[in-house]
Amino acid sequence: MAALLILARAQTRVFLREPAAVVFGLAFPALLLVVIGTVFPGATEAVPAFDGRSLVDVYAPVTVVLGLATLAITMLPAALASDRERGILRRLSTTPAHPRALVAAHLTVQATAVTLASVLAVLVGVLAFDLPLPRSPGWFVVAYALSVAALLSLGVLIGALVRTTSAGQAIGMLVYFPLLFFAGVYVPLEIMPPGIQTIAGYTPAGAAVRALSDAWAGDPPTATSLLVLAASATIAGGVAVRHFRWE
Amino acid sequence: MTIPTQRHGVPPAPRALEVRGLTKAYDGRTVVDDVSFSVEEGEVFAILGPNGAGKTTTVESIAGLRTPDAGSIEVFGLDPVWDREQVRRCLGVQLQESRFQDRLTVREIVETFAALHADPLDVGDLVDRLGLGDEADTRYARLSGGQQQRVSIAVALVGRPRAVILDELTTGLDPQARRETWGLVDELRDDGVTVLLVTHVMEEAERLADRLALLDRGRVVAIDTPQGLVDSADLEQRIRFTTSAPIEDEWLRRLPEVSRVARADGEVTVAGDQEMLFSVVALLASHQIVPGRFHVDQPNLDDAFVALTGRRLVTTTADQEVA
Repeated sequence: MAALLILARAQTRVFLREPAAVVFGLAFPALLLVVIGTVFPGATEAVPAFDGRSLVDVYAPVTVVLGLATLAITMLPAALASDRERGILRRLSTTPAHPRALVAAHLTVQATAVTLASVLAVLVGVLAFDLPLPRSPGWFVVAYALSVAALLSLGVLIGALVRTTSAGQAIGMLVYFPLLFFAGVYVPLEIMPPGIQTIAGYTPAGAAVRALSDAWAGDPPTATSLLVLAASATIAGGVAVRHFRWE
Repeated sequence: MTIPTQRHGVPPAPRALEVRGLTKAYDGRTVVDDVSFSVEEGEVFAILGPNGAGKTTTVESIAGLRTPDAGSIEVFGLDPVWDREQVRRCLGVQLQESRFQDRLTVREIVETFAALHADPLDVGDLVDRLGLGDEADTRYARLSGGQQQRVSIAVALVGRPRAVILDELTTGLDPQARRETWGLVDELRDDGVTVLLVTHVMEEAERLADRLALLDRGRVVAIDTPQGLVDSADLEQRIRFTTSAPIEDEWLRRLPEVSRVARADGEVTVAGDQEMLFSVVALLASHQIVPGRFHVDQPNLDDAFVALTGRRLVTTTADQEVA
């Protein structure tokens, strides 16, 4: 536990000193919501196709998942691969701490960063674009925690297996863009063809957006969404733990 | 003052390192083959050998990063794999090619590793002693290769280890930085820290090691003091000189200490045993010949290595392709 805190402190410094991480990791969701809210006319007005929600309401959970995917899928695998490539993981193996503590430190920093980014996005939405606060806060916290677990596990899995930093970045990108599609970043899930909606619901990103949207609207998330998220976290996390390359 | 004598039933203090029959293969290729050696507490012990001799695998096994296929390892009487926790507290390790996060400063890196140990050294003092005082707040990415290497050494030492492994300590350093780093090993010796030095640089082993093991193709070829190794190889000494007046080769050959005489570019080269120098000088003096440009080539560890293995320590590209 002590080792985790020590390494999380160092990793927080590394994170904050990387301008791209700060901009894309912390500010991206809020910025996207600002763009949607100001560029599209009537973005804050109720739309019948969205069950009476506004475009901003629909995109709020999407931006949260976008921020999460950006950190978990584009940054975490490369960071883990870099630690491996530099021999930092191996180096930790020669101290009283286990290199697992560094992986845990990365996860702690990322989960904290994405939570700050999400709070920032929600605040912007609430203050500027009439976004309601989640109507079912309990379910929202459950859905959010499972979403973070699912996507960070996926990121750790990629980081666990790739050999180099550049491979981590490349594979991260290959996974990232389809995930954004299924999260409804390009086209909202609600107006996708039904077949694609179904597929999206079985991806971690799509399930995350569904679960967050439901909780936001005041409904419990569907069992499917919660199961998809829990299964992604368990399977990806389990494989990552079993097959993590420490050197 | 009474000096306690050894009592019955009390085992002697364990050695700093005890390696017996260490064997390790990768994909059916044996890289370390029945390696045994021991290091006393406070000793500076070098493992010297060409690239691919199995040096790094040997020390990685000692550090507990590899599990041996056969043989046993004890670090102060503890097994690096079974007693992982305890070994990590008394053994510092500087690994070959290990780097740190670019965006952290020297102080932050060393402080982070210090915090992982129970009783670390003072980070400020350590950084100063390693000559990094002025760079303490410089980010890792901005350091020179030599400075980065010293950060790596600081990380190995910050846990106040009783023994430290230094793998290819001075690779990539300029001569000035190399000498400074050697001075550091002298300081460790003065502090009573046991040092296991891994190197393919003959001068480094010769200059620093109390004793050394010569490793070639996974096997220990010899273990001795640097001078002992050179002496036991019973190598020829060679002297080269010009002369103020012509000298007959035959006069030199007749000296019992001399084994060979050769001439090139007006220089005479004489080979023979360790007593040859005096006889040759005496012979020249008796003919009133003054030697010029006088060179004595003392046999060194590299020559001893050639005598023992038939190969040179300093590998050429051709050698590396074979290895």
